[in-house]
Amino acid sequence: MTIEFTAPKAKPAALLRPWALVVPAVLFLIVFFVIPLVENGVRSFVGSGGNGFTLSRYVLLLTDSFYLRVTAETVLLSAGVTVISILIGYPVAYFLVRRSGRWAGLIIFLLIAPLLTSIIMRTFGWQVLFARRGLVNNLLVDQLGLIDVPLRFSNSPEIAVAALVHVLVPFMVLSIATVLQSIDLRLEESAKILGAGRFRTFWEVTLPLSLDGIGTGAILVFMIANGSFVTLVLLGGGLQTLPLMIYQQFNTTRDFGMASAMSTILLVIAVACLFLQLRLVRRRGG
Amino acid sequence: MAGRGTAGRGIDWVNVALGAFVVAFFIFMLAPILVVVVVSFTSAGYVTFPVPGWSFKWFVNIFAYQPFVNALIVSIEVAVGATVLSCLIGVPACLYLARSRSAWASATMTFLLSPLSMPMIVIGFASLFFLSWLGIGVSFHALLITHTIVCLPYVIRTSAGVYAGLPPAYEEAAAILGANPLRVFWHVTLPLIRPGIMAGSLFSFLTSFDNLPISYFFGSAQTNTLPVVMLSYMENQFDPTIAALSTLQLVMAVVALLVVDRIYGIDKMTVAA
Repeated sequence: MTIEFTAPKAKPAALLRPWALVVPAVLFLIVFFVIPLVENGVRSFVGSGGNGFTLSRYVLLLTDSFYLRVTAETVLLSAGVTVISILIGYPVAYFLVRRSGRWAGLIIFLLIAPLLTSIIMRTFGWQVLFARRGLVNNLLVDQLGLIDVPLRFSNSPEIAVAALVHVLVPFMVLSIATVLQSIDLRLEESAKILGAGRFRTFWEVTLPLSLDGIGTGAILVFMIANGSFVTLVLLGGGLQTLPLMIYQQFNTTRDFGMASAMSTILLVIAVACLFLQLRLVRRRGG
Repeated sequence: MAGRGTAGRGIDWVNVALGAFVVAFFIFMLAPILVVVVVSFTSAGYVTFPVPGWSFKWFVNIFAYQPFVNALIVSIEVAVGATVLSCLIGVPACLYLARSRSAWASATMTFLLSPLSMPMIVIGFASLFFLSWLGIGVSFHALLITHTIVCLPYVIRTSAGVYAGLPPAYEEAAAILGANPLRVFWHVTLPLIRPGIMAGSLFSFLTSFDNLPISYFFGSAQTNTLPVVMLSYMENQFDPTIAALSTLQLVMAVVALLVVDRIYGIDKMTVAA
């Protein structure tokens, strides 16, 4: 290494991070992410002939009973998946933080490992479990002899819900665990010393203190569930959601204006979730 | 550790129930994945579980179906390309954003991470029209651009996470000793944040490789990615080839994770992720 005897510059580290460094990334996203989404929103207001302004698609989406049901089903499905994820995820997060001891590493590994599998693989896994000659039918028919004819599960939305929870619950567990970890154990001990039983301590101390984790996880899960598509295409069970409708409009109906309007509604829900998420993070001062 | 406050005598049924619940949870988490791995080694000609015997024929079958092979190559090219592009524009942005405390910088950070929160099917649908208007349309470049949109946040989040945790003293020392900013970056900053870049690149690669809702809109004989071909295959057939392909993908992901872990340590990754 050669040593150069130049006079040290008077401005040290400040030179390393001028704001100009963010320009390529910001410009890239403005051009290829923001503009297409805005253009898509605009298209949803353009009349079917290619000119003029129309609200007809939104009127249809918000008044027609079929489309209203699709929007409601999208939101209800996401909400349902979120609630189930909280109910399943909270005990697991609690165990991970408070009871797992030397098993913590294994539990974190088992939570993260499914994230390495493709969404197609997990969907296929549910199909294998509930196929006509899958594990569940084989157990029911051959092993246990409970039924004579294999059940057909292809029209059960419950499997789609289970598959979505399977994909999303790790995010919930990790969000809740992060917050549980930061709770000062002395608060729980104080409650117990003051005579509260373990359930009362949990209900009045631990649970309220971990609400932020539940909130963060809930928004995350709701947001991803809302845009989920692969799971529902393959395991839909007759559910009709906005992402599925966009897929169908693009594939078969080819009504791009309508697909744009539905995309925009989905986008508005996503932006609202993002806004809530930011408020939550800010309140926590993170 | 000061008093855990457990019952002490006898069996603590609440803890037993909690433990049982966690075991059941992991059976739920692992079952759909393990059955696919098992089915990929089946000797049966159809999907059944438990399997009647073992064979490797479905792995051989992957390579007999030409669209899978073509799509695998496209997927690898897109995933590598989008990851490299994300690093090229994402890492410089981190250098500024991770150290700045201004409100403007945190707003910029939120903006750069926002593609993660948007429904991918909307990004795909909107991009198709915009890119067609630009004349890029259904092409490899379109895949590269749209995948970079969703890969960029992963690179930025992990790289910025690692960089924010570093004391600025190293860079200041180098600068005071006369290194110009480029040399400081190359010899000091880059080696220090490499774990973050590597972890972000791994997530970015896996995200791109697994992406279906965006790739779907840019599908053609030349630009079908692996998930797109797998989906159309699954819509028509239900045989163990998909299981074999999934298992292969899982092995790839685990190997990639182990390599990154061996070189950089897994805890460094999860801190930022």
